[in-house]
Amino acid sequence: MIIPVRCFSCGRVIASDYVAFVNRVKFIRENEKREPTSEEIENIFDELGVERYCCRRMILSHVDLVDEVIPYD
Amino acid sequence: MELNILELKEKYIKFEIKGITPSMANALRRTLINDIPKLAIHKVIFHHGQIRDKNGNVHDSTTPLFDEIIAHRLGLIPLPTDLNMKFRDDCDHPPDEGCPLCTVTYTLNKHGPATVYSGDLVPHGDQKFRPVDSLIPIVKLKDNQAILLEAEAIMGTAREHAKWQVTSGVSYKYHREITVKKDDSDYWEEVKNSCPENVIYEDKDKITFTDDRKCKAMAKLLSFDNPEIKEDNSWFIFQFETDGSLSAKDTLDYALRRLQERFSKIRESAAIS
Ligand SMILES: [Zn+2]
Repeated sequence: MIIPVRCFSCGRVIASDYVAFVNRVKFIRENEKREPTSEEIENIFDELGVERYCCRRMILSHVDLVDEVIPYD
Repeated sequence: MELNILELKEKYIKFEIKGITPSMANALRRTLINDIPKLAIHKVIFHHGQIRDKNGNVHDSTTPLFDEIIAHRLGLIPLPTDLNMKFRDDCDHPPDEGCPLCTVTYTLNKHGPATVYSGDLVPHGDQKFRPVDSLIPIVKLKDNQAILLEAEAIMGTAREHAKWQVTSGVSYKYHREITVKKDDSDYWEEVKNSCPENVIYEDKDKITFTDDRKCKAMAKLLSFDNPEIKEDNSWFIFQFETDGSLSAKDTLDYALRRLQERFSKIRESAAIS
């Protein structure tokens, strides 16, 4: 639905990092016309300070569906 | 007993304590996890019905998420905490009322189409209570949807709910020393060059490293024939991060005082009987 505010396992706030992560990935896609490599993704996480894999999976495995339910009130 | 800070940032701390037992280390860990008070939104009053904006346009109070979910998300937002504030139960007034000593009130008013962020929460009175992280998305609104609500934040501890948890990833490990023979392989030079501060002892045939500080290259040491690994169960390396409601240093300071306070309560009650 919408990105959870905190990591389910450890409680770190990840919602704002998700927004930053998506923007960074979009930037690579639009400028380089390719998907980011796994090293680049690792780099983004390191720079955002998302270190533990519990928090990383929150962001990596999220599917943002709010935009799809908005039209149905 | 000795405590040294190895690394300190606003929201992250790494420190070592020498001369304690594992049970003392665990007491500190658990205090850090669930006994630090912080401010979090506990009550949300939604406005239902039509909401008018400045230009007189009428919006509806419907949102794509249920009110309960929005209230829950608001609760999880880290708010800057003043440790001098009181728990509501310690105040004189009835528990369902609030006073400036124990409660901070917020309002949120936004009209669609827009994404509502934590930064849209406006505290009544002192602006120092604005959410630390203003970019947490709370809900999305389409055109002619709007949200208007009032929220009350009170002090609590993580013993009651995870929204009052200041720290995350609280962990400790033993201080560890890894000794390898220089003749076995040349990798030691590579490790030494990438993390020189991790070397604690070196002579002409042996070199000793510690992993107190993070060093990715150190995994190579395990490829040596028989690295000698020594752990010290009275020397602990702690680390944790906070959600920003308190600084890492204030959190540690409070936890240490809190432990002392709880033990002195036991001592006092033992003296009476
Ligand atoms: Zn996590």
